[in-house]
Amino acid sequence: MAAVRQAGAHTLGGMYKIALWMLLRDRGKYLALVCGLSFATLLIAQQGSIFLGLVIRSTGVLQNVGQPDLWVVDPSTRYILETRPVGDQFVGRVRSVPGVAWAEPMFSNYANVEFRDGTFKRVQLIGIDRSTLIGQPPEMVEGSLEDLRAPDTVLVEESSRPKLNNAKIGDVLRLNDKRAVIVGFCRAKLGFESNAIVYTTFDNAVRFTPVGRERVTFILVGVKEGLDREVVAADIRKFTGLGAFTPEEMTSRTIGFILYETGIGINFGITVLLGFVVGLAVTAAIFYQFTLENLRHFAVLKAMGARNSVLVRMVLLQAGVVGLIGFGIGCGPAGLFSLQGRRPGAELAPYFPWQLLLLTFVGMMVCIGLGSLLSLRRVITLEPAVVFK
Amino acid sequence: MSALTTKTSVRMGNTGESLAVELRAVTKSFGAGATAVRALRGVDLSVAKSELVMLVGPSGCGKTTLVSIISGVLDADSGVAKLFGVDWSDLSVNERTIRRGGLVSFVFQQFNLIPTLSVIENVSVPLLIRGVRMREAMERAAAALASVKLADRTKALPSQLSGGQQQRVAIARALVGEPRLIVCDEPTASLDGHTGQIVMDLIHQTARSKTDEDHRRCVIVVTHDTRIFHYADRIVEMEDGLLKSTLSKHTMDEAAHTPRFAPEPEEPGT
Repeated sequence: MAAVRQAGAHTLGGMYKIALWMLLRDRGKYLALVCGLSFATLLIAQQGSIFLGLVIRSTGVLQNVGQPDLWVVDPSTRYILETRPVGDQFVGRVRSVPGVAWAEPMFSNYANVEFRDGTFKRVQLIGIDRSTLIGQPPEMVEGSLEDLRAPDTVLVEESSRPKLNNAKIGDVLRLNDKRAVIVGFCRAKLGFESNAIVYTTFDNAVRFTPVGRERVTFILVGVKEGLDREVVAADIRKFTGLGAFTPEEMTSRTIGFILYETGIGINFGITVLLGFVVGLAVTAAIFYQFTLENLRHFAVLKAMGARNSVLVRMVLLQAGVVGLIGFGIGCGPAGLFSLQGRRPGAELAPYFPWQLLLLTFVGMMVCIGLGSLLSLRRVITLEPAVVFK
Repeated sequence: MSALTTKTSVRMGNTGESLAVELRAVTKSFGAGATAVRALRGVDLSVAKSELVMLVGPSGCGKTTLVSIISGVLDADSGVAKLFGVDWSDLSVNERTIRRGGLVSFVFQQFNLIPTLSVIENVSVPLLIRGVRMREAMERAAAALASVKLADRTKALPSQLSGGQQQRVAIARALVGEPRLIVCDEPTASLDGHTGQIVMDLIHQTARSKTDEDHRRCVIVVTHDTRIFHYADRIVEMEDGLLKSTLSKHTMDEAAHTPRFAPEPEEPGT
């Protein structure tokens, strides 16, 4: 009887050890569980990071331009990459709107760089105001930004060098059959299509890429200090008939467009969901099998006095441990992949914020939780009398 | 990880009771309707403390169902099933589980050792279930293994042991928690004659090892093995869900032809 009364005096931590030994020493099933969960984690995290990377990359132009408070565009513009130029006169009209401190034109269009061997590469040509250089790239790597004011000069985004035959300063590009001299290299975020980015002045840009009378892709606007951007944006819309958006609004419109108006959101969403389903199916199947094969042992434990609550915790501990290990192992390659994708000029654009890590973790825990439900049900409803069968 | 503690308020029964097991008009059926099987049809049975009782009878006569109800792993449909004075039906599921863990242990035909745990870990399980700390549990498990002459195999896995050794581990596991009732289900069925004798000697010693009133052990053995009948204080024969007859030790001693284990075969040339 003394032995029985000990039950209240001590903890049942030993049973957790038993649960872990049962799990970890059954190497085959343990490895199968961890592999399944690792793969599911990798699938969810990696596909999630590529999806986020693509979405973020679609806002590359917005991220590269830090100065404006407002982006003024054609009113029917749905996102940053879908543009219809407006006439030069709109720059003056915007400047005349009360609350506007400055407004400068910006050009964005595609151009072809032709090579000696007859091949060509499509580039994103950005034209910025010659005097203020508003819209300039975020960081210069080589050369001087001021040199851009010289005629027929361009800056090339650093990671785009290989795409342009490892061009260097002084090289001459044949840009839409026009002569363009490289005067420097800068660092900027690539756009959705990962084309090489070439910066030049607005005047050069419209010469390199003639577009008719409507030449201004964006009007970048600074708002007078102390004024509400939203109010000024409303005034611009009212007085010019153009669309005026804060950078946040434009980012949101762009991401929304990518998510809802293209198949990208659905396609990646399906892949992430598949990762979850695969993880769930693999986990549930293997874990259920693992529990089934241990069912007799659980019955013996029950017969020997282990309560349902103890057995449930043992099963959940086993599930949690394989879940955590699988998550950890799966996150490793996903993280490495993400680091690899951060190289300048990398074609893939994984973006792996902590929120995605947290979401993947929650996903995996839900996965393992659901996966272990069947097992828990079997353990709870298990009759200890089966030990005699 | 939050530590668990087990409930201590379970009634463990009046240890002053003279009977270990008391069954009155116990019935049990499985299934329903036309396919229902009446496994027990009103069984009355009393087992005293320190008594070694063997339940015999043909397959399907209800022996296993009876010991399941005695040990509290199965509910009776009707009747009274008391263990050390407490009716199982008066207890909640949790109370029953804890009481069973404290008073009852089992020895199975197929040993039911956990294959991924070492011998000593298997033996420590009943103590760990009760919340005994790991170190103490291991020390007590080692002592229990020494008592079944397996002190040198504590680290082995069950698969590395012979059938007889595994059954001795199972007995050590059954003994380690100082149970008041040991239920053995065909403990010698998977063993050869010599090993079966060793195992039954151990079980018999176990039943006799405690002499004070509060700690005397009762052993119930379900068996078909006529070679072990001489270990019993009483043999209860079952048939068709009912107790058919009882053979006492006294009667058995008078029966000179009581079957024994076959002698070990002599080696050639000796």
